Amino acid sequence: MAFKRDKKEEEDGGGNIFLNLEKTSVLQEARTFNETPVNPRKCTIILSKILYLINQGEQLGTTEATETFFAMTKLFQSRDVILRRMVYLGIKELSSLAEDVIIVTSSLTKDMTGKEDLYRAAAIRALCSITDGSMLQAIERYMKQAIVDRNAAVSSAALVSSLHMTRIAGDVVKRWVNEAQEALISDNVMVQYHALGVLYHIRKSDRLAVTKLVTKLTRSPLKSPFAVCLLIRIVCKLLEEEGDVALSESPLFDFVEKCLRHKSETVIYEAAHAVVNLRRTTPRELAPAVSVLQLFCSSPKPALRFAAVRTLNKVAMSHPAAVTACNLDLENLISDSNRSIATLAITTLLKTGAESSVDRLMKQISTFVSEISDEFKVVVVQAIRALCLKFPRKHGVLMNFLSAMLRDEGGLEYKASIADTIISIIEENPDAKETGLAHLCEFIEDCEHTSLAVRILHLLGKEGPRTKQPSRYIRFIYNRVILESAVVRCAAVAAMAQFGASCPDLLPNILVLLARCQMDCDDETRDRATFYYHILSGDQPQFIYHYIVDHLQVSIPSLERALTQYVANPTPEQFDISTVPVSAPEPTNVPEKGHGTVDIANPVAVQPETPAKAAESYAVKLASIPELAPLPGSLFRSSDPVQLTESETEYVVKCIKHCFSDHLILQFNILNTLSDTLLESIGVTLEEPEGYEILKEVACPKLSCGETGSVYVLLKFPEDLSLSVSTFGATLKFVVKDCDPTTGEPDTDEGYHDTYMLEDLDVLLSDQVVRVMKGNWGAAWEQAEGESFFELEDTYVLTSVTSLEQAIQNIVVFLGMQPAERTDRLPQGKSAHTLLLAGMFRGGHDVLVRAKLALAEGVTMQITVRAPSQEIAELITSALG
Amino acid sequence: MGLLDKLSSLFRLKKREVKVLVVGLNNSGKSTVLNHLKSDDDKITVEPTVGLNVEKFKHNNVGFTALDMSGQVRYREVWEHYYSDCEGIIFVIDSSDRLRLAVVQEELELLLQHPDTVGKRLPILFFANKMDARDALSSVKIASALNLHRIINKPWHICASNAVKGEGLDEGIEWLTQQICENIRKE
Ligand SMILES: Nc1nc2c(ncn2[C@@H]2O[C@H](COP(=O)(O)OP(=O)(O)OP(=O)(O)O)[C@@H](O)[C@H]2O)c(=O)[nH]1
Ligand SMILES: [Mg+2]
Repeated sequence: MAFKRDKKEEEDGGGNIFLNLEKTSVLQEARTFNETPVNPRKCTIILSKILYLINQGEQLGTTEATETFFAMTKLFQSRDVILRRMVYLGIKELSSLAEDVIIVTSSLTKDMTGKEDLYRAAAIRALCSITDGSMLQAIERYMKQAIVDRNAAVSSAALVSSLHMTRIAGDVVKRWVNEAQEALISDNVMVQYHALGVLYHIRKSDRLAVTKLVTKLTRSPLKSPFAVCLLIRIVCKLLEEEGDVALSESPLFDFVEKCLRHKSETVIYEAAHAVVNLRRTTPRELAPAVSVLQLFCSSPKPALRFAAVRTLNKVAMSHPAAVTACNLDLENLISDSNRSIATLAITTLLKTGAESSVDRLMKQISTFVSEISDEFKVVVVQAIRALCLKFPRKHGVLMNFLSAMLRDEGGLEYKASIADTIISIIEENPDAKETGLAHLCEFIEDCEHTSLAVRILHLLGKEGPRTKQPSRYIRFIYNRVILESAVVRCAAVAAMAQFGASCPDLLPNILVLLARCQMDCDDETRDRATFYYHILSGDQPQFIYHYIVDHLQVSIPSLERALTQYVANPTPEQFDISTVPVSAPEPTNVPEKGHGTVDIANPVAVQPETPAKAAESYAVKLASIPELAPLPGSLFRSSDPVQLTESETEYVVKCIKHCFSDHLILQFNILNTLSDTLLESIGVTLEEPEGYEILKEVACPKLSCGETGSVYVLLKFPEDLSLSVSTFGATLKFVVKDCDPTTGEPDTDEGYHDTYMLEDLDVLLSDQVVRVMKGNWGAAWEQAEGESFFELEDTYVLTSVTSLEQAIQNIVVFLGMQPAERTDRLPQGKSAHTLLLAGMFRGGHDVLVRAKLALAEGVTMQITVRAPSQEIAELITSALG
Repeated sequence: MGLLDKLSSLFRLKKREVKVLVVGLNNSGKSTVLNHLKSDDDKITVEPTVGLNVEKFKHNNVGFTALDMSGQVRYREVWEHYYSDCEGIIFVIDSSDRLRLAVVQEELELLLQHPDTVGKRLPILFFANKMDARDALSSVKIASALNLHRIINKPWHICASNAVKGEGLDEGIEWLTQQICENIRKE
């Protein structure tokens, strides 16, 4: 609706009156707020402008924001309802930008408890946005009253605000549980839904309490369909944690299945969606859920058809057989007047269909691909990508289709997804490489997206030199140097250098081109051309390897931090890049996301971090602990957290191993789950194995229930490398104080000492190695032949593995190194394979491994290691023994 | 009454809003004073103010908008943001709090020397509040303790009051109304 109206306005030429706003002049206008008497109409418009600007991403400085905020406080004089409600919005937007925002606390509490119902809900929301932990106590009483208020809007606002407040003061909000319980029996659909959200959030970490809540609610039906939907999600989360019991045995699942027959369509859909997404769903449970979705497919309501086909599309990969049952309905949807539905229907059919139907379906898509939005074009592209993996022989048709899509109009995200798909097809399927590169070359001839052009040029530089006829790519690349913007020209120069480095017969021509580029008007382009020209024309071939073929391995965020620090503290010494941590490449086989994960209305969502970012944030965290300063050099690698307790015990302990060049920091994260105890002086006793030396321990002073704290132990690695792979016994030690579960205050001052046995902790080879991506492994291997490298070779029979795939997986995990040249993918039907790996051992030592595998009784492996020292090479060969 | 009614119609005060700022240390009784002045159905239970609060009341047909400021230390520096656009100031003093009279003097000094008040003939009404308390100082003693007589470029007036019962408030507000009217007439 709203969308349509906007469009209409555009056509009317009415336009957006806020379109050309300028921050400084709007803030100037905000001085009107100081005038007496207040002019509500005028001030309302100015406030709208301010809100518009902020929502467009305009940045307000602290002083600007604070001034505006103070001026806004003067508007409380006016009793104009519209203006007052705008003021609430203004307070919410500025609350995070301005200083001293709590000065409106009293004004807002007055409105929140006053008689004017139109004010109350909005005042609560504004109040909660300005309140910090210390002020929360002062408004607690009002919040409790508001939660149980008879006015549904007020109650809902208070509940939702409580949910947001858990972020700053979880334990205060916990005390509102009785009020939330009362709100749960409300007749209002929203209030009931929000109350359940708050109750669940309060009890989330206490599995037993959640189970109780759920058991109670699944028996006495909730009125609100939204609350039931949320309940279904909670139930699914419990089911996922339940372990391997068959779903049909579980009373919780019974509830979900019953919801398939609920009278509200929303609930029915939620239940069906839940069932198909559960990890343990078998065809037996699937059938009723899919038939519900099938029914929805022929519903007259587009929203239901859309929801159904979208869900079927998602599960098409995990349960193809079940989705095939809906094929007829999906075929009908291909001609749906809603193009989004049609697209999803076709792509679902593509995912489940046979190779023979691919051509027909692709033809059908092409009839309307120009009519659908970019977002759905991306869905089509993803379907094509899946198809290519499934039917490698079809790559010709599909690639043609993709290149036609590339030529069409479209935004960056859409074009990037096409390019990604072509790139992944090239990588998966050697037969498709040359055609794929040709399509991409053609695309960059007319590509408006700089970032994409740069990526493709990089790819050409990497793959082009290793094709049958490298020279054919040079023209496309050099054209960019003549025609494009500076950023693209730089990338083109770098790509040409790759050809020069790897194809000796092209080198003279490349040198001529690079010499021309030295006249470029852009500094960076000229610098690069000069740099590459001199390296390539020089007489030191190892430079060509180090500076052109092999690329920078350090982690970019860490490099940035190190450089900032270097610039901030000038020293006469040169910057030493070897102190910057190496970044591990991102894992390639990320399992498809969005399946089986149940995300319950969680206001504090966590973004998954890339390895480089995670390592960098660990480095910052460790550096901020005064007891550990100075850190023993720069952080080399942090392991994933290792669980040292069973998951549902009194204390949950995880360990992260931070590896430095000669030291190891063990970080134990401890979660106290006992609601009636307070832990103090928490430490970890380690039985350190031979060779290790404990240098420092940092205890955790105190942990109340639900809190997580960390204990750190700093160790020195053994001199003798072969001792570094070892096992530690570990015990948690602490002082326990019993306390009142409601207030969290200890009953007595006296506590008693206690210990808690943890599982053994292994320090592995892979903890001391980071993965390194070698673009050209062969060149690196040859390079490691001459220079002070040691080579060690050994042969093993891996008796415990039965297939080459398994052997590859195990070796990669044990050594913690990066497979190169896609040698971790096994071509079908082979009985021998060579796995190539690259990594870096702590201390910055490059390590290369070649493992020749052959399938006989078990798997025979001949492993060759090239490393800068004998000791490292031995450690690595022995790790597999 | 008759006189005031005439005055207000004369200067068209009937439709006019008058804006005053209410300041003073915390716990001096500012919110209690305003609460008493408000009409019966607007009354609230008084609690320490956080930041500021806007209150409205009528006195003899003149509509007052009062900014009730918090007197807590951390909010005192907020007062000055509101000096520029008020027509009068009500300064509430707890007359039984001898100890903090020095603090009152300091805050008053800051107020008088602020650029936004210095050149203006802003009328200041002092309430020597809590006169019912046993060890309360008289309004005369407070005036001399605060050295009020040195204020020459602004009209000022001090009355003893009991904000809980409402005693002494009307007298003060009447004086303030008159002063503000005079200021307007001179303009
Ligand atoms: N005995 C007596 N008590 C008073 C009088 N005026 C106010 N109080 C009491 O003094 C206390 C503080 O009054 P408030 O009106 O909250 O003081 P305030 O100046 O607004 O304080 P802040 O908002 O914190 O700056 C309350 O308990 C009042 O009941 C008075 O004239 N006599
Ligand atoms: Mg007050």
